[in-house]
Amino acid sequence: MEALSLPAHGAHGDHHDDHHGPPTANQSSRIDPPLLGMMLFIISEIMLFGAFFTAYFFIRVAQGDPWPAPGTKIPVAVAGVNTAILLSSSITMHWAQTSIKNGNRFGLKAGMLSTFALGVTFLSIQINEYVHLGWAPFDSAQGSIFYGLTGLHGCHVFVGLTLLAFVNIRANRGHYSPEEHRGVEIPGIYWHFVDIMWIVVYTTVYVI
Amino acid sequence: MSTKYLRQPGFIRGGLGMVIAFGFSMWLVWIIRMGYGHPHFTHFLDPTSICVVSLIAVPLGFLVGFGGFDYWFYWAAGRPTRPEDHSGHGARRWQDYFRINTDHKVIGIQYTVSSFFFLLVGGLFALMMRAELAQPGAQFVDANTYNGLFSVHASILIFLFVIPVFAGLANFVLPLMIGAPDMAFPRLNALSFWLLPIAGTIMLLSFAAPGGSFASGWTAYAPLSTSAPIGQDFFSVAVQFAGASSIMTALNFLVTIITMRAPGMSFFRMPLLVWANFSTSLLVVIATPFIAASQFFVLLDRALHFHFFDASKGGDVLMYQHVFWFYSHPAVYIMMLPGFGIISEVLAVKSRKPIFGYRMMAFSLLAIVVLGFTVWAHHMFVSGMSNWIRIPMTITTCIIAVPTGIKIFSWLATLWKGVLHLDTPMLFALGFLAMFTCGGISGIMLAMVPFDIHVSATYFVVAHIHYVLFGGSVFTIFTGVYYWFPKMTGRMYDERLGKWHFWTTLIFFNLTFGPMHIIGLEGMPRRVATYANKFADWNMLISIASLGIGISTLVFIYNMASSWRRGPRAEANPWRALTLEWQVSSPPPIFNFDAIPTVVGGPYEYGVPGAVHGVFKGAEVPAPASTPVTHSSGT
Amino acid sequence: MRDNPPVRWLVIGGVVACAIGITLGLTINWFPVEASKQSDKIDALYNVLIIASVPFFVLVASVVIFSVVAFRMRPGEENLDGPPIHGNTKLEIGWTAGPSMLILGLVVYSLIVLHDIGEKPPGTIQVGVTGRQFAFSYQYPSSLTHGKPLDSNELYIPDGKTVDFYMTSLDVIHAFWVPAFRVQQSLVPGITTHLIVDPDRLGTYDVICNQLCGVGHSLMRSEVHVVTPAQFQTWLTAQVKAEAVSGPTVSNTE
Ligand code: HEA
Ligand code: HEA
Ligand code: CUA
Ligand SMILES: [Cu+2]
Repeated sequence: MEALSLPAHGAHGDHHDDHHGPPTANQSSRIDPPLLGMMLFIISEIMLFGAFFTAYFFIRVAQGDPWPAPGTKIPVAVAGVNTAILLSSSITMHWAQTSIKNGNRFGLKAGMLSTFALGVTFLSIQINEYVHLGWAPFDSAQGSIFYGLTGLHGCHVFVGLTLLAFVNIRANRGHYSPEEHRGVEIPGIYWHFVDIMWIVVYTTVYVI
Repeated sequence: MSTKYLRQPGFIRGGLGMVIAFGFSMWLVWIIRMGYGHPHFTHFLDPTSICVVSLIAVPLGFLVGFGGFDYWFYWAAGRPTRPEDHSGHGARRWQDYFRINTDHKVIGIQYTVSSFFFLLVGGLFALMMRAELAQPGAQFVDANTYNGLFSVHASILIFLFVIPVFAGLANFVLPLMIGAPDMAFPRLNALSFWLLPIAGTIMLLSFAAPGGSFASGWTAYAPLSTSAPIGQDFFSVAVQFAGASSIMTALNFLVTIITMRAPGMSFFRMPLLVWANFSTSLLVVIATPFIAASQFFVLLDRALHFHFFDASKGGDVLMYQHVFWFYSHPAVYIMMLPGFGIISEVLAVKSRKPIFGYRMMAFSLLAIVVLGFTVWAHHMFVSGMSNWIRIPMTITTCIIAVPTGIKIFSWLATLWKGVLHLDTPMLFALGFLAMFTCGGISGIMLAMVPFDIHVSATYFVVAHIHYVLFGGSVFTIFTGVYYWFPKMTGRMYDERLGKWHFWTTLIFFNLTFGPMHIIGLEGMPRRVATYANKFADWNMLISIASLGIGISTLVFIYNMASSWRRGPRAEANPWRALTLEWQVSSPPPIFNFDAIPTVVGGPYEYGVPGAVHGVFKGAEVPAPASTPVTHSSGT
Repeated sequence: MRDNPPVRWLVIGGVVACAIGITLGLTINWFPVEASKQSDKIDALYNVLIIASVPFFVLVASVVIFSVVAFRMRPGEENLDGPPIHGNTKLEIGWTAGPSMLILGLVVYSLIVLHDIGEKPPGTIQVGVTGRQFAFSYQYPSSLTHGKPLDSNELYIPDGKTVDFYMTSLDVIHAFWVPAFRVQQSLVPGITTHLIVDPDRLGTYDVICNQLCGVGHSLMRSEVHVVTPAQFQTWLTAQVKAEAVSGPTVSNTE
């Protein structure tokens, strides 16, 4: 994706020919650099969630505060439906990815679009939940960490959606092919990560 | 004419981006407050909230305008991405250092030079602190300013000097060492550099904030930090920028090291500097999100009145320290491991011997990485956490002495029977061995809980900090800068001034920080603007000696600046080193190599007859140093 | 072959330096007065740490100095390389195992000390410490006053008794540190922390707030008076009486 090894392009004539752009880097590992970069970035992201879960652990377990804060309710069922929505978006994402691998452009576009739509739906439901929850992050530490964790995840959904939007645009402009589809694959990995993270958030914050 | 400047990436468009971002911040705050209708948000335009939002938005606006994201915008819009024409590569004029530049060598120099600027600033703050501490009682600054001074001193030196300068040196030499034409993600590399001046500016600007700069130490413990004046937000936000920059660079290093090594360069043929940066980057990738989170919590508590650290609302005060130290202990190794790498390079070359126990050197780095994550609570022995946590923590902390000891002893064995070239880089490396051992041993003493119960948060700890950070990290930084100066600038530094620099630094360093052990044991607390009379004599000595470090640093700066301009031309390989960066011209050609070399042996086979590390096919002789950048391309 | 000064010199120099270092380390009085059982134990631990660490520092420093003297490049050796020694398994095992054993010993010893300085024998009395920006106040529960609990700005404790301080803070984190006792503990809002001291020397000692707590941090100081149990009782009764007359001694306007 980055220009690490693009072959020399347009040497500008007026100098000796031993200067001809960078030599092609040796590929010393079978793994694709952008893919590896995304994996490592996801490790970082997991640690960021880890820090928020640490906070959650301290407030809920170490501190022993009642969960959720007395007089408040967490809408487990609505969020459960929302979970299903987000999970199905992973399936459509997968569909888009396999489609482009097989050269099926319609599948790519439709898959990406439905992934995007499902993601937006998820986020809207989440925001709607915030509005109707009836308690706020500044009511108690439990509120803080509830909004903190779900909000952090919401931000990731937002980032994921931004990436998906780009992929949609590019897909509609005719980019990607069975040979060259890293641009779908890598945002896709991120999206799957966001989904899996939600399962963890949902189980710890809502279910348990 | 004028719109051309506004459309071109650069400082003018960057300024425009800042203005727009500021407007956006005002709008956002206004919208949120209006839409929310909650008592906390009753005023539509509140200076504090606007300030916090713009602290984040304005730098981003600048970066967008400056051109940091241009490529990705093209990509996102689905426009055909411009094939890389390398017009962003290399530096022909000094102005090329002040734009988004994707050449790892230019970025390396940008990093190194700007970090040294921050050393001067942070050091200047230290000298101001020492002026205040020269005598008991209040002299020049009030208590709040003093607290601000040491907080900014430490934050600047940690986040904007030691961490980035290592990233800068490695940026320059690491791709060369592994035989790569550049880093894996050159644009990300450029972006991560430009986040640093931003972080530094924010920290320094905090002095202009009402209520003074952030003043709760570089540790910013809650709830002091959550109840401090607005200057604290500058710390929290600046740390986010610096942290993002570290993570990006670390990802870049890891991917570069894993995927772009020259043919034949197996992991156990990598120079130890590469190993060191590999380990450091692992630490960064795993640990840095924790400090990001800790500052998110503080920001949320401050700006949106969350209650993460409010005990009366069910928050947990000690949680801050756990999250903070889970980053900040690994951070001390982030500040030391690259230095270990530098020392390994220099000691092998300057003793003309292979590094002793290469594999153990590499493994001990990894061992430190792993152990580094298991010891964070040794900063919290007297914090009020459950007593039992002290026991595992003291054990793991002490175990770290073993891999570190392996490194120290292997270096000593590398010296043994060598042919020691005692020039400036070598002197600093030898100084490092002794000074860091001293700091490491005081660390082991601190790790003994009962002893720490007495000296925690005293000047004994301040002494430890500076023996490991100055005697350790900064000595290795000087080592590295002298060692690679010919490669980076194409000139030789002045050896005589270098020796002066070393000896004055060594002496004044010990005079400054040695006595701190003594007053610490006697009971002088840290982070105080005034102190009991019985410590007056020692403090006077310390303050005078610290001036000496300041002057010796100026000698260094003078040496670097004047040699860079007028020093004699450097040969390609003045040290007769084997590693790849020395096999190309000084400074290296714009694309590093004409063809990627092939690695055929270990990096340190000094004394082995006929040993080579890498072979270059074709023209063996690197291009002359005089015309490093002949590649011209249209702008 | 290059002729080098004999290694004997290194050994002799190192041993002498160790001897000097350890002697200095043990004879110099590094600490403030010892006023508690804890301080005796911690100072002893410090001495052991000195004995254990001086040799390591001396080892590193003297090998560096010896190498500089013995192995430095002499004129004519510009192109000479050292012998290609890549490692030595026995040595490497040695310097892994040696420090490990030593570390193990030190840790065990320090954990024993840690256990000893935290012991609470029967008869331990309890005194409260409360921190706020920027002052300490002390609470004497009814178990001590045999009446109403007392809240005071002054800290008196009886010599020879184990005192269990229970501590908390009203605003930010502070720390209660008595250098003469060699112990400190943070005062954390929302939780109660404990600190155990066996004062064994009459006198008045500094109490220092040792956790950055804001502008007044450097001035947040107090004193602890170690008095005989009899004096302690007299003081306590007087205070309780005074308070009954004039209200609490702690003013809230600080
Ligand atoms: C470069 C940075 C750096 C490094 C490398 C270290 C290394 C170590 N540090 Fe340090 N430390 C800091 C930077 C660093 N530290 C800072 C900045 C603080 C203060 C933070 C703050 O509060 O502001 C701090 C504080 C600090 C504390 C908390 C003190 C307190 O606040 O109460 C402790 C306690 O355990 C500690 C321990 C150690 C140990 C055991 C090591 C070990 O890694 C050292 C290992 C090395 C050796 C031991 C030497 C070589 C080994 C041998 C020669 C082998 C033989 C030796 C023996 C058997 C002893 N450090
Ligand atoms: C890499 C890290 C690093 C470095 C290099 C230094 C360098 C120095 N430090 Fe720092 N220090 C820390 C990291 C570092 N420190 C940390 C982490 C803390 C803990 C903070 C906390 O409690 O939160 C600390 C705390 C600290 C304290 C304790 C403050 C307190 O607790 O009250 C003191 C006191 O003397 C001190 C002194 C010094 C001195 C004299 C130097 C000298 O080495 C400085 C030498 C001077 C120069 C290098 C400047 C040369 C420049 C000029 C002479 C002027 C030219 C200037 C311009 C052109 C702008 N430091
Ligand atoms: Cu209270 Cu410092
Ligand atoms: Cu640590």
